[in-house]
Parts: sequence; structure tokens; C-alpha cells
Amino acid sequence: MKQKQFNRSACYKIISVIIIAILAFTFAFPLYWIIIGSFKTSAAINSTTPQWWPQEWVLDNYRKLFSRQVAALWEINIPFTNISLAGPDVPAAIRWLLNTVFMAVVAMLLTCITSAMAGYALAKKRFIGRTVVFSLIVCAMALPKQVILVPLLREMASLELYNTIWAVIFPIVGWPFGVFLMKQFSEGIPGEMMEAAKIDGANEWKTFYTIALPLIKPGIGALAIFTFINSWNDYFMQLIMLTSTKNLTISLGIAKLQAENATDFGLIMAGASLAAIPIIAIFLIFQKYFTKGITMGAVKG
Amino acid sequence: MAKNSGSSMSKALVRRETIAGYAFMLPSLLFFLGFVIYPMVQCVFTSFFDATMNREDIFIGFANYVELFQDKVFLGALKNTVIIVVVSVPVTCIFSLWVSSVIYDLAGPACSAFRCIFYLPVVTGSVAVAVVWKWMFNNYYGIFNYIGTSTGLIEKNINWLGDEKFALGCIILILLTTSVGQPIVLYVSALNNVDQSLVEAAEVDGATKFQCFWKIKWAQIMPTTLYILVITTINSFQCFALIQLLTSGGPNHSTDTIMYYIYYNAFKLYRYGYGNAMGVVLAIIIALLSAVQFKMTESK
Amino acid sequence: MKKRKVMALALSCVMVCSLAACGGKDSGADQTTADPAPAPAEKTEAPAEKTEAPAEKTEASTEAAAPADTAQAADITLWTYPVGKWGDSAVVDGLIANFNAVYPDIHVTVEYLDYTNGDDQINTAIEGKQAPDLVLEGPERLVANWGAKGLMVDLADLWTDEAKSLIYDSVQSACKGSDGVFYEYPLCMTAHTMAINRDIFEAADALQYLDEETGTWTTENFQKAVQAVYDYGQTNVGAVYCSGQGGDQGTRALVNNLYGGTFTNAEHTEYTANSEENVKALELLKSMDGINFDASIAGGDEVNMFCNGTFAMAFCWNATQEKNNQDQGNINFEVLPMAFPSEDGRPQLCGGIWGFGIFDNGDAAKIQAAKTFIDFMANDEKQAVESVKASNFWPVKDLGDIYAGDELMTEYAKFVEYMGDYYQVVGGWAEARTAWWNMLQQIGSGADVKTAVEEFVTTANAAATAAQ
Repeated sequence: MKQKQFNRSACYKIISVIIIAILAFTFAFPLYWIIIGSFKTSAAINSTTPQWWPQEWVLDNYRKLFSRQVAALWEINIPFTNISLAGPDVPAAIRWLLNTVFMAVVAMLLTCITSAMAGYALAKKRFIGRTVVFSLIVCAMALPKQVILVPLLREMASLELYNTIWAVIFPIVGWPFGVFLMKQFSEGIPGEMMEAAKIDGANEWKTFYTIALPLIKPGIGALAIFTFINSWNDYFMQLIMLTSTKNLTISLGIAKLQAENATDFGLIMAGASLAAIPIIAIFLIFQKYFTKGITMGAVKG
Repeated sequence: MAKNSGSSMSKALVRRETIAGYAFMLPSLLFFLGFVIYPMVQCVFTSFFDATMNREDIFIGFANYVELFQDKVFLGALKNTVIIVVVSVPVTCIFSLWVSSVIYDLAGPACSAFRCIFYLPVVTGSVAVAVVWKWMFNNYYGIFNYIGTSTGLIEKNINWLGDEKFALGCIILILLTTSVGQPIVLYVSALNNVDQSLVEAAEVDGATKFQCFWKIKWAQIMPTTLYILVITTINSFQCFALIQLLTSGGPNHSTDTIMYYIYYNAFKLYRYGYGNAMGVVLAIIIALLSAVQFKMTESK
Repeated sequence: MKKRKVMALALSCVMVCSLAACGGKDSGADQTTADPAPAPAEKTEAPAEKTEAPAEKTEASTEAAAPADTAQAADITLWTYPVGKWGDSAVVDGLIANFNAVYPDIHVTVEYLDYTNGDDQINTAIEGKQAPDLVLEGPERLVANWGAKGLMVDLADLWTDEAKSLIYDSVQSACKGSDGVFYEYPLCMTAHTMAINRDIFEAADALQYLDEETGTWTTENFQKAVQAVYDYGQTNVGAVYCSGQGGDQGTRALVNNLYGGTFTNAEHTEYTANSEENVKALELLKSMDGINFDASIAGGDEVNMFCNGTFAMAFCWNATQEKNNQDQGNINFEVLPMAFPSEDGRPQLCGGIWGFGIFDNGDAAKIQAAKTFIDFMANDEKQAVESVKASNFWPVKDLGDIYAGDELMTEYAKFVEYMGDYYQVVGGWAEARTAWWNMLQQIGSGADVKTAVEEFVTTANAAATAAQ
């Protein structure tokens, strides 16, 4: 009886693993196809029967991608003056990549900082208007940005932020999901520890910094990855807010490539590879930490 | 949970708490009020106007709203939005839970390989993914038709993205591939953190694998499930890039979502007021939904 | 408590990774601060009246002789749609260099738009208060859309009597809004054609149905030819593409020509796509073997699929399409450009007129600089030829035989005489063209042609009335 049950569950397991392996294959396929496609000749890409493995590897698509447009590697505008400093000219695609990284990192940092503080306050401070603010946050946290498309665009225009990366970053930071998440985490901070810190003479900030922050760090981490990935993929805000070649992000750049060169699939694939590979590299570094995090969890659990 | 002593707090304490509370809230509130609430108020305000590009807005009361509920395309878009959310949220959760339950106790490298692969579409980004899917769904030489016809599964080529019957399904399928990555990662670590002693105790008591899973593990991964529900709902509502890049809402508005239709009205038809009215309706629906979801979370 | 702890742990691992990963990448990206586009050095207020002082009128007509010193320094932005090689940065950089050789103080930044998202991009930029100074496109956008919305600058001082006498009348009337104001200064024009894959037609013995010499065919022969190609085994002969507005002039011209229908009335005030002829044409297309209504592709995709042999004919075609695709080595068969089929074999081809328009951004110096730019590109004797050639289309005034010896262009030149009415200036054009491809999608998915067309005309005319 026990034996039979074991067999059945082993059987289930094996079949499941096989199905999942097949699914995994289809999940990996788009990426495989992008990368492979970027090294194909245009004849191979446009052929009506798919070429699963390129017969001939070429770098033409990348050459084309990098010779298309140039942009300064970086630029700094000194506020209140007309002085702006710019780096050396590089292929625009490189600049797009940097823009995207900058955007995602800044959005992530700002979101984590503001949300951690706000979430802590919502969870631990009994202030007047708390329920109102929190209800607003709950109601707004799943709101798609398309809802406020035109008003937001006009607001950015009057703040003179339109066509700058900040126009993409600020609405991401304003999105209250992070506050909600951090509030849920901060509920777990034991009140006694805070009391104790207060008795020791710690002020509000110090209590937050030394007591609350270390306890909600895991939550901040979760929020960080969520924000990073979401802002990296937040095509909509980029589409609406950015226009100059030098200000584009990589997703927007590829979408433009695709629209401009519907005929040149190889070029689009090269752009798409360029967009995908860095973040996948980042992700592969993640992998190690994932495992580490899990073992850490096991020890503590 | 936290010490609740509201009634016994002295006035001075309330004031101190309020000042401290708002001081901590301030940076976040600046962004929230500035870039979410303020535009939202504007949105509600302009929804009562006939607003378009470079012309004085004309006050028309509730006319936009009246029109909305007679606009077949809007109602269709509303339906599509609901379908996307109602299908993709549970499917994502169940699928990722199933995958995680199978792979979490595999040997280390196998598990991380699977996890990694399912995560790939998430990090590849919807734009890059859309490029390939567009080719795969191609009517004339796409891979689905190629495989389908050469294995005899389908008789003749299907115009996946150009046929009302299939287009929305295709969009949901792509959305699924780009949204299961994160839930799988979360579930795998949640399952690994399940208290093993409880599982063993149950097994000794003669519980089947299935019972074990349902009675013990499921309860323990509940917080993860709730978190996943929330982020998947958010993601499903944000499904804009796929539609804009693959179908532009077509064919025949069969893949229009309210999110895309707002954009379409604003920048193809120049109807800002009307688009804003749609936004208000969508915002109300989503706010209610979030509130309900939150209440559920709280009661657990 | 327990639950939270589990969740916290589950999430903690996620966090560690993200921080580590981003930390590494961050350093390279410091200060990619995007600046709000080049701030105007001195912001002179725009004059209340749109036309500038008469002094510059003389300047506009001079042949770039000495104006270098009178031209004020300015930073202007030019956004181009892919009008031939005007969408190619390498070529445009050369043209700008010519301009800067004469006007070194005017700095031109170019952005390249596409026909899929270009309009949306300009529309968002307008709302973002960063509309480009100069834009290169046709009257349907510059005049009928943004011009009619009061966003463009009156170009009266570029349209001197001399210019009016040189530029063809049909072009002139297209560049003028319904208010009589010139919002576009034209550069080049073409007649949009269709094309067939001559190799396939030959193999299918379908060449007998068309006149290779004149590039024309009758509706009846078109049907026979399509049937022949279909019977030959090429089941995808052509596609009525309708996923978006890209290349929609092709589908309009096809439908209108088949039975001699028109898209609008002669006064350009009303849409007439619901006429009997058009309904008949749409019904014919719907019933033909080998012609699909395809809602998954737009004009650009169709061209691509024609070039790779998926389709035997393309409805979105012109000289530039052939030139660009030949240059890129995308075509390995003989392309035969054809006029759209019509009952009497006298097609009315849909024209394209491209030129410059200036957005009124309220900065007189920029407007002035933009006018100087237009004047140089379109009127300077030597430059005008080069500017037109960059588009691969034909000039809007007599510049001599600029394509002498160019076989491809000579072949396409014969279609210019079939150029029909330029109707794309009716009010509410942007809304109407959106309704057009939506209508094709409806028909493609089985809606009754008559009903769909009526609905289209109602929507389009409502937009036209609203725009008056």
C-alpha cells in the first residue's frame, strides 16, 4: 500500500517534471530566438521556413544597430545656468541602456526610502488622518497609470519635466503600492522594542533607523526588486514622457526600431538582445543570492 | 497587533505622534499627492468637459459619462479588461504554485535552472518579448502555424492576432508567460520555508501527500499567495505594451482594454475629456477591487 | 506573527539579490541626467500676429546669398517622418551639414519618427509643450490636423509670389488650410502605386491581364490575374492590411479605383466612402480568393511580406519602397510597379506631398530660424535638388530632369500623370483615417459591408463637422 502510493506520487512527479521541462523550453524560446536572430543574415530571418540554428553567423545587425544614431554617453545640466556637460558620443543604444539603468535604480532607491518611512509611520504612529491616508493608498495602489494619462502629461509639461527621465521616475515613486507593502511589514515590529529605545532616549528618527529599519529590511528587498523590474518594464510611462533620441530607454528604443524598420528584423533582434542580456546577466547574479537567501531562511525558520 | 491605546493617549502625545507621523510620511506623500492624487483630481475635473487639443474646454456636465455607457467599444473594452484580470490572475497563481510544488524539492541546480528559465520572460521585458511573439503568431510564416500545419493540428493557417476569436487569448497567453516568473520564485522559497516538522508529523499520522499539501503547506504559504495575488492583479491591469505593440486594440476592438482605449481616445481621437471619464470609471472599479482585496487580506 | 515571518523570509531573499545586482550596475550610470531639451538662450516673446515683420519677406526670397549674417543664432528641432531617405540619419546629417555651411549659427537637432507611432509622439509632445519646431510631413497632418487645430505657424512669407508661380497648383491648394492659410511649404511629391511580383505572375501566366508598358489594368483583368495567381498555388496573393493606419493610402486607393468611387466629395468637405461604387469594391475584395482582410498587419508589414515573397502583390508601394528594399537586398525577384486597377484603365492614384511645417512654440527666433531652414532646403537652387533626391520622390516645381539616367525613377515617373485628387485635407482627417482601418477590420471579420461603410461615414463626417 505504502509502496503503491509512493509509485503513484513518483509517477506524478516524473510526468510533471517532463511537462514543466517542455513548458520551460517554450518559455526560453523567445529569448533564444531573439539572440539567435540577432546573428542571422536578413535572408535567413526573412525566410518563410524557420531556421532553427543559423547557417551563417554574422555581426551585421549589431554593426547596423551601433552605427545608426549617436548620443552623448552622459549629460549633466547645471541647474539655473545654461551650462551642460556631456560625455563622448557613443551609439545611441548604449545611452538608452544607461538611461534605463539610471531610471530603474533611482526609481528603486527613491521608492524604497520613501515607502519604508511612510510604511513605518502608517503602521506605528497613531496620527490624525491616518485612516484617510491609508484608505487612499489602498484604493490607489493598483491604479493603472493610463487613467491619469493626460493630466499627468500636462503636469509634467508645466513642471518642465516632460522629455526628461524624471517624468518617468516620479510617478513610479508616487505609486503607493510600496507604502502599502512596507506598512504590512512594519506591523510586525514589536512595540516593546520601540518603547525600550524611547526609554533609552532615542528620538523618533533614531528609533526608526536603529530599531525598525533592520527589522523591515527583508520587506525593503522585496519592494526593491518589484520596483526595479517594474520600472525597467514600464514601457507606458516611457512612451508618453520621452521623445528625444538621447532620452529614450532601451525598451522604447526597440519599440521605435521596430516601428521604423518593420522590414529589418535582424536589427530589431539585435536591439532586443541588447536590452535583454544585461538584465539577464544581473538576474544570473541574483541566482546565487537567491539560494543564499533561502538557506538563510532555513536556518532562521 | 501593535499596542493600541488610542483612547488613553494624552493630547500632547497625539500631537507628537501626528507630527512624527507626517514627518515620516512627508517624502512619500509629496510624490503620492503630486503625481497620483493631483492628476487624479484633474482627471475627475476634466471628465466633465469636452476637452481636446489646443482649444478651450467646454463644460458638458455628465455628457461624457452618459456617452460612455452607450459606447459599445468602451463596454467591450471593459469586458476585455475584466476577462484579462479574471483569467490571468487565478491562472498565474495556480500555474506557478503547481510548477513550484513540483520543482522546489528537486536537486539544487535543476530547481534553480527551472526557476531561472521561468523568470526569463519577466526580465527580457515586454517589448522585446512582444517582438518575438509577433513573429511567432504571424499569419503566413509564424511558428505556430508552421508547427500546426506541418503536424496536421490545424488545417490551414490561423491569423492568430488578426482574428477576433483568438487575439485576446493570444494576448493573455503572452501576459501569462511574462507574469509567472515572480510568483514561481516566491512560491519556491515559501515552500522551502514550510515547517518540515509539521509535515513529518502529519505524514506519521497517515496523511496523504495531497492532504499534507492542502492542510499544512497551503496554510503556511498563504501570506505569499496573498502577496502574489496583489502583484498579479496590478500587473494584469498594467498590460498595455503587449496590446499597443501587437494588436493596437484590434481586430475590431477585440483586444481593447480600457487602459489602451484611454490612450486611443487621447492621442488618436483627441478626446481628452472622454478619455478622462473612462479613467475615472476604471479608477473607481479598481479602487473598489483593491479595497475588497485588502479586506480579505486583513481578515485572514 | 508566524505568517508574517514566513512572508518576510520569502521576500528577504528576493531583496538581497536585487540590491546586490543593482549596486554593481549603478556606478556606470551616474548622472545620466536627462535635461529638458535645449533651453532657449533668450526667450523673445512671440509677436501677437503670426506673420513676422515684412523685412524678412525679402530674405525668404533671396537665394541664400548673404543672409548668413542676418540669421539669428538658434537651436531648432526637426522631426522627420520617413520620407525616403529623410528618415535616414546618415543622409539627413549630410543635408544639415550643407545648411550649417551657410548658416553656422542655427543648430538643428533631428528626431526620426515612424508612421506607426509618429503621430502619437507628436501629439504627446504637443501636450508636453515640447512640440518640434519643424516637422517634415504631408498636408494631411500639417494642414488638416495640426494646422486646423491652430498649432502651426502661417507660412505666408515663404509663399512669395515667385513661389506661388513655380509650385504646381494642385500642390499649392493642398498646402492651404480651409481658412486659406498656408501651413506647409512643400518639398516633394509622389503617386502611390501598387506592385506585383513579376516572377510569380509570369509563372502563373497572369501577365496577359496587364499592360506592362503603361502599368495599368482593368478591374476585370485584375480579378482574372488574382484568380490565376491563386490557382497557380500562390494562395496569398495580396492583403487588405488594416491593423493600423500605416500605409492606409494603399487600401483607400485600391477600394476607390476598382469601380471609380471617391473618398470625399470634390469640395473636400464630406466623406463619400459609402457610395455604391465603394461598397461594390469592398464586396468584390471580400469575395476574391487570395485577397485577405488581415487585421494583424499594417502597410509596413505588407511591404516586408511582399519583399520576402509571402504576397504576390503589395498595395503600399512607391519608388522609395522599391529603392530602399533593393538597397537592403531584400528583394530577389523582379518587381513590377502597377497602378491600381480601375474599370476604364484610367487610375486615380493617391498622391503624397511632403514638405515642412512649423509648430508655433511661441519663440520668434526659432520660428525665424525654422523658416530660414525651409527656405534653404526647398528653395536654394543646388540644395533643393539634393533635398528632393534624398526623398526619392519628385519635386513640386520644375527643377529639370533631376533623375536623368536613373532607371528606377524613370520607370516610376510614368505614374505621376495618374495622380488623382489630393483629398487628405478634409477636416477631422486624423479621426477619419482611424475609423477607416477600424472599418476594414469589421468587414474582415464578417460584418455587412454596407452597414460598416455607413458607420464609417457617419463617424468620419461627424469628425469633419466638429473640425469646421
